[in-house]
Amino acid sequence: MAHAPNVLDAKSRDLRGASTQVKAMLATDSVVVKNAAHLHGLCGGLKAGEITIDGDSGDYLAVLNDGAVVKVTGNAGKYVADNMTGGKVLVEGDADYGAAQYCYGGTVVIRGTAGDFTATMNKGATIIIGGDVGNDAATYMMAGDVIIVGNGGENLGNYLIRGNIYIRGDWASLGHNCAAGDVNAEDAQKLEALLKEYGIAADARSFRKVTPLSDKPFYSH
Amino acid sequence: MATIGAFCVTLDKDQCINYRMPGKCATCAEICPYGVFSLNGDNEVAVQNYNTCVGCRLCAEFCPENAIRINPAESELVSRYPWTFGTIEEIHHKALTGTYMLRGFGTMGLTPHFDKIVVVPSQLASPAPKDKYREECHMEVVIGEETCERPIRLQYPFIFPAMSYGALSREAKLALAIAAATTGIMTNTGEGGVVEEEPYYANGFERPNRSRKTWPPGGYLAIQWSTGRWGVSADYVNAGDAVEIKIGQGAKPGMGGHLLGEKVTEDVARIRGIPVGSDALSPCRYYDVLAPEDLKKQVDFLRDVTNYEKPILMKLGPSRPYDDVKMAAEAGVDAISIDGLVGGTGCSPEVVTQGVGIPTIACIGPAVRALKDLGLHRKVKLFALGGIRGGLDAFKAMAMGADGVGFGTAAEIAMGCRGCMACHQGNCPYGITSQNPKMRERLDPEEIGQRLANFIKATAEEVKILAMLSGHGDIRELSEEDLRALDVDTAAITGLKLVGYERPLPWWENG
Repeated sequence: MAHAPNVLDAKSRDLRGASTQVKAMLATDSVVVKNAAHLHGLCGGLKAGEITIDGDSGDYLAVLNDGAVVKVTGNAGKYVADNMTGGKVLVEGDADYGAAQYCYGGTVVIRGTAGDFTATMNKGATIIIGGDVGNDAATYMMAGDVIIVGNGGENLGNYLIRGNIYIRGDWASLGHNCAAGDVNAEDAQKLEALLKEYGIAADARSFRKVTPLSDKPFYSH
Repeated sequence: MATIGAFCVTLDKDQCINYRMPGKCATCAEICPYGVFSLNGDNEVAVQNYNTCVGCRLCAEFCPENAIRINPAESELVSRYPWTFGTIEEIHHKALTGTYMLRGFGTMGLTPHFDKIVVVPSQLASPAPKDKYREECHMEVVIGEETCERPIRLQYPFIFPAMSYGALSREAKLALAIAAATTGIMTNTGEGGVVEEEPYYANGFERPNRSRKTWPPGGYLAIQWSTGRWGVSADYVNAGDAVEIKIGQGAKPGMGGHLLGEKVTEDVARIRGIPVGSDALSPCRYYDVLAPEDLKKQVDFLRDVTNYEKPILMKLGPSRPYDDVKMAAEAGVDAISIDGLVGGTGCSPEVVTQGVGIPTIACIGPAVRALKDLGLHRKVKLFALGGIRGGLDAFKAMAMGADGVGFGTAAEIAMGCRGCMACHQGNCPYGITSQNPKMRERLDPEEIGQRLANFIKATAEEVKILAMLSGHGDIRELSEEDLRALDVDTAAITGLKLVGYERPLPWWENG
């Protein structure tokens, strides 16, 4: 039997108040938070639980997330899923500047568009952007996968040293140390599974793959 | 490099084993990080290029027959200025390799520092001196007393500033943790993730179950949150007793940490969460801070993730101390460290270490004024870092208004370092800045931790002597009145009273 989740109206709460309440509610069931756009850093460092932000979120939503599933029905603020190490963050709308930076693990799905410097210094997470992404996406990525269903901006994958960028649309320019090629059968299989899991209608074979030219691009050594 | 060309290296052939039996010994050639000695095809050692000597005397120390002499040739350095051998050597290096020079350690050469400041003792016109042998001096510094559920109580006004695992060996990190525990002060993870044993070692426990304190009274561990975010997770930020947001450091403000792929071994890679052998070059700024209000939000979420228990600290490089410290304090941190020009590093471009940032003594005054203007002086704690060598420097920094000081380079030296400035090469013969197992096994964390603790205790005694002879039984009472500047330059930089003149220079008095 599905039971009704806890609902928290965060309108008049500060971060500490809302966060304490969310943590207490998670002990019993999933949580829906309404009116949370003014709270920055909500759902930080959680290890488990399911939280839905009804509407838009503030900045640094689910920072240091380590296992929780956080959904946003509206748009996410800046730096959503910052430094995530596990779990899932799903944004139905768009994400502002710097989504999914410094992530080590877990999955971030942004169904709309994402801003500049998305997935910067990714060290192992899977980051899917359903729409277009801004400039400097996946800068200095060291591991993991970044999947862009729409178009990329300038400097895509700048100083990429490990990991893969899969992109279906075009890009304005590739960053330093990047080479574009086709996806192989293994890539296509991985993409197909992910696209299916998150209900994104796109042909895995229509993607291109951006990989690092050298794994030591600094100091020319 | 300022020191290159300042030394003459000679080999006493009567004593040298290699001279008598080529191939039997080549310790000097193996140990010198700069290739001063060469081996020819017959395994004969010769002094090949003493211009590259930095005067660390590692070779002399490791020579089994005491056959090496290093003599300063400073006069040559002075008389050839500005075309010193160092300058010439540097130009040759760039011309030969096409790369700029990298090195460890801090600024070399004469920059305004604490030496031109003296301590004023108490006689009649100020409160009488206190008796160091029979009276107490309050040394404790509390961080986050009003803001955190678990404030930090440092037994002495000292910290070990951030030095990362990766730059330092695991053994060196543990030695620092043991020393912090034994003396009740705080060590810092640096930006390279946390070594498993570090949190409980720093608190004084030898085992993770924390059953029995091996190193009482137990100290603290600050967890660094930096621009590279190496090995950072929710568990990581909660592993210690405080979180430090690193904005910059003295040796290379405006640049991120440098850890070359050579030092990214399997263990370093695992703890940093990155591929083995990849260059870990921290970004120079936070990609996730675009505006000052973002910094405030970072402080807020770090408090939230650490359950409002732990102090949040911030570390700044030497730039515009008044405005920087003001912004840091306004972001809501509990303590601010400001690292001066002389601050050290494991690896930095020579030009940056040598010529970027303002001196430590010029940072403290403006930092204190910023805190006073906000009404936060002594509430938000201020730590002065960068070239603090002992109790005298520490006292002077604290009398200028800092609540405490940090020992980075001095701590490395206490561990055995001779200052060869080749930390970045990863072959430190004392196992401090090396990931090489052969070098690392020379460093016993417990023995070296004890050396560090001895250094801290002796330094604390020095501060106590100076505080008490200037009439204070509490280090929080120290003030600028306890100091005088010896020359006009220092008085001009610091606003301290000039000796003889007995007043600050006119523009300080006139605002």
